[in-house]
Amino acid sequence: MSSESYFDWTARLFDRGRIFHKPEALRGIRVLDMSMIIFGPATADYLGELGAEVIRVEMPRSGDVMRIVAPQGFYWKNVSPAFFAQNHSKYHVAIDVHRPEGQDLIRQLAAKSDVLIENFRAGTLERKWGIGYRQLREINPRLIYVANTGFGQWGPFIKRASYDALAQAVSGFTAVSGFANRPPLKIGIYIGDYFGACLSALGVLAALHYRDRTGRGQFLEVGQCEALLRAMDWTWLYAGLTGKNRPQTGNRDPAACPSGIYRCTDGFVAVVAASDKEFRGLCRAMGREDLSLDPRFATRADRGTEAHAEALDTDIGAWAREKTRAEVEAAARQHGFAAARVATAKDHYEDAHLGARGSVWEMEDPVYGPMVEHGPAPKLSETPARYKWAAKPVGFHNEYVLGRLLGLRPEHLQELEQKGVIGKWADRRGPKPPDNWEGEGLVG
Amino acid sequence: MPDLPWEDWIRQADDPRGAFAKPEALDDLLVLDVSQQSVAGMVCTAFLAELGAEVLKVEPPGGDPARAWGPPDFTHKGEGLAYLSEGRNKYYITLNLEAPEGRDLFHQFARRADVVIEAHPPGRMDAWGIGYRQLSSENPRLIYAAISANGQFGPRAAEPMPEYDLTSQAASGLTFITGEPESDDAGEAGVPTKAGPWLAGYAGGAWTAFAVLGALHYRHETGRGQMVDVTPAESLMRYLEYTLLWYHIDGRIRERVGFYDLAVFPYTFIRVEDGWAFIAAYTDPNFQALCRVMGRPELTQDPRFATVWARVQPDNERAMREEIETWSLRKTSDEILEKVMADPGPGVVVFGRVETPIEVLSRENWWERGCFHKLSDPVYGELTLQMPVWRMTETPPRIRWACRPTGYHNGYVYQKYLGLGPRRLAELKDGGVL
Repeated sequence: MSSESYFDWTARLFDRGRIFHKPEALRGIRVLDMSMIIFGPATADYLGELGAEVIRVEMPRSGDVMRIVAPQGFYWKNVSPAFFAQNHSKYHVAIDVHRPEGQDLIRQLAAKSDVLIENFRAGTLERKWGIGYRQLREINPRLIYVANTGFGQWGPFIKRASYDALAQAVSGFTAVSGFANRPPLKIGIYIGDYFGACLSALGVLAALHYRDRTGRGQFLEVGQCEALLRAMDWTWLYAGLTGKNRPQTGNRDPAACPSGIYRCTDGFVAVVAASDKEFRGLCRAMGREDLSLDPRFATRADRGTEAHAEALDTDIGAWAREKTRAEVEAAARQHGFAAARVATAKDHYEDAHLGARGSVWEMEDPVYGPMVEHGPAPKLSETPARYKWAAKPVGFHNEYVLGRLLGLRPEHLQELEQKGVIGKWADRRGPKPPDNWEGEGLVG
Repeated sequence: MPDLPWEDWIRQADDPRGAFAKPEALDDLLVLDVSQQSVAGMVCTAFLAELGAEVLKVEPPGGDPARAWGPPDFTHKGEGLAYLSEGRNKYYITLNLEAPEGRDLFHQFARRADVVIEAHPPGRMDAWGIGYRQLSSENPRLIYAAISANGQFGPRAAEPMPEYDLTSQAASGLTFITGEPESDDAGEAGVPTKAGPWLAGYAGGAWTAFAVLGALHYRHETGRGQMVDVTPAESLMRYLEYTLLWYHIDGRIRERVGFYDLAVFPYTFIRVEDGWAFIAAYTDPNFQALCRVMGRPELTQDPRFATVWARVQPDNERAMREEIETWSLRKTSDEILEKVMADPGPGVVVFGRVETPIEVLSRENWWERGCFHKLSDPVYGELTLQMPVWRMTETPPRIRWACRPTGYHNGYVYQKYLGLGPRRLAELKDGGVL
C-alpha cells in the first residue's frame, strides 16, 4: 500500500495536464446530431466530451438560429458567443433535410451512427421526411434514437410549443423559487434546456449499456417540462401529504437552517450551518456562543421554524455585512460549516482551483483562437472528459464527413452543393467564419 | 409509411404503464451507495436504481442523517420528505465503516460491486482503507465515484467543506446571474437568488450517473475501471452558457436581469388576469404571430421591436412587456392559450401559466404521461411521487418501492452477498458493526 498522501495521489490521477495522454470513454461511438438551439445539441455535446464523434447537421446557409441569439446583440468573430457552449468538438455538416437527396444522406449517416438526437415536434422526422425512428431502425436496428421535446412524444400537451422557461413555469419550478409576493423568478440560464439535455444524455448511456449487453438499440424521449418536474425534490410528496404548496423561501433552504445569502463588503456569500455541529461552529465564528445555547435554536427542527430562521438570518446578516467574502469562507473552513461566495465570471476566471480541475477550460481553437469556457463537469481518472475544438461555421466539415464517412466523390459533392442539397455558410454573421479566417482548421 | 400514426405507435411503445413487462437497462449492475448527507449522492443512485441497477444503500447503524432532511414542518412516518422522495428501489443495509470489522465487510461487497458512490470528505474513505486505490487493487473493474463540495484534487480539495445545495448553487456562478437587480421596489428580493429546488444536487446526481455509465462503457470495451470526481457546483457550472467566454472576450461580468433576457425577447413572465404566465416569441416569425394574436400588427413595424436586435435592447424589453401586459392583464391564461393555439401561423407563440404545485398536480397531462404516480407503499402508505423521467421503448425505468427504513434489508442482503445468517447478524449488531 503506497504511502503517498491522498491528495498527492489524486493530483497525479486527475492531472489536467495529462488529459490528452489518456483514452476516451466513448471512442467509437458516433452521434448524429439533428437537433437545434440547446435542448438537443447539448445532449450531443455531453456525449462528445466523453469522446463520442458528433456529426452536427444544420440547414445550409443559415444553420442553427442559436448562431444569432446573441447576448445584448454581442457578436464575436461573426458568431454569437452563445453558440459555443453546446457545440464542442463537433463535425459540422449542412444538409437540407427537406430534399429527398438530403434525406437520403441522413439515412446513409444514420446507418453508420450509434446515436441520433433530434428535437423537432413529435413525429416530424417520420411524417415530413421519412427519417423517423421507425424508418431508421430498419436500416440500423442498433440505433439509439433520442427525441428531446417540451412535452414528449404523446399526451394532451404535445401540440404546444415549449422553451426552457415555459418548462420552468408549467412544471411548478417557478412557483417554488424566489421571494414571496414578487414577480416570478426567471433562472439566469436556460435550465430546462441544459438540465433536460443532461438527463437525456444519461438516458442515452443507459441505452448504450443495454446495447452493449444485448446488441439492441431503442428509442428514448425526454420532455424538458418533465425533467424539471423530476428535479423538484420533496415538492410533490409535500403537496400530496399536506395538500399545501411548498412555500417560496427566497434564499433560505427550508430543509437546512440556518441558510441564506448575505451581503458582504465585496459582494455576496452563501452560508449553511444546518447540523448541530455546524451551527455551533457558526456561532463560534460569529462570537455568538449565546445563540448555540438559545432554546429557539436547539435542534435542527427548532432552527427551521420560520420565526427562528428569520431571527438567525438577521444575526448572520449583521455578522457577514462587516466581512469580505473570503473572510466568511475562511471562517467556515476554520469552524466547520459551509460557506461559498456567490461567484461571478471574474471569480471563476481567476480561480486557480477551477483552472487546475479543468472546470475553467483554456484552449486554442484553429478558427477562433484562444478561448476560455467552463469545462466538462465530471472528472474521470482513466478517460477524462475534454473539449477538442470549438463550434465551426455552417457546413465546415461537409467534405470531411460526406467524403470520408460516406465515400462521396468531390464531383458528387459539388453537384449536391449546386443543387442546394448540401451547402456552406451564408455570407452573414452567425453562419460565417471570422473576417480574418484563411482556411485554418479545415480538415481533409 | 407505417399504418399506425407516430403518436399512437410511440405511446404504445414507451408508455410507462407497460414498463414492468420489459427488461431493465442496468439490472446487471451492483451499486454500493455509501453517500451520506448528499443530495447528489441520493439522486445519482435513485437514477441508477430507476434504470434497474441493484443499489445497496449502506448507512451507519443510526441511519443516514439525511433521513431527517425535508421541510421543517412535516415529516412522514419519521422520515424527512427529501429522503423519501429519492429512496426509490434501493436496498437498505447498515454497516459501521468506522469499525475495522465493518470495513472488512465493506471490502467483501466492494470486490463484487460494479460501482461505489460516496460523498465523504475527500480522503476519509482512503484513510479507512476503503478508498479507490485500495478497492481497485482488489477489483480493477470497479467504477468509484466521489462527490464533494470542492472535489478530490486542486488547491481547495484538502480544505473539505460540508456540501449543501445552497452553497453549491452559489459557487456555481448561477446564483449571481439569477434574481432581480437591486432597486427600491425589489427591496430584500433585489439580490442574487437561488433556485427553490435542489438544482445543484440534481445536476450533481445527473453528471455522476452520466460519468459512471460512460466509465462502464469503457470498461465493457477494455475491462478497466476508474475513479470519477464530481462536485455539484461544477455540475451546475457546466450549464452557464457563454458566461465565462464573455468575460474572456470582453471583460464583461454577466449580471442578473430579473425576468428580462439578454439574448432573446420577448422571453419573459407577464401578468395575466389570473396570475402570472410565461410568454416567448423572439424570432421574427414568432413575434409577428404574437402581434397577430394580440391584435397589434403595427408593433412589428415599431422600430423598438422590428428586429431581433432591437427587441433585446433593455429599454425596448421594458416597453415590450408593458405593451404585452396592456393586453394580457385583461385575459385569463386559458383565454390566451386558446388564442395562441388557434393561430394558424406562420410562427408560434410559446405560452404557459405559472402554476403552483397543487395546480400542476391537477393537470391531467402529467398523470397521463406517467410523470406522477400515487404509490401505495407497504411501509409508508400512499405517496405522490415524481416518476422516472425517461420514456424508453426497450428498457423503461420503473419504481418498485418508494423507500425503506434503516437496515430494512439487512437480513436479505447479508445472506445473499456474504452468506451471513440471522445469528451472525445479531452478533455483528451487538458488536456495533451493523
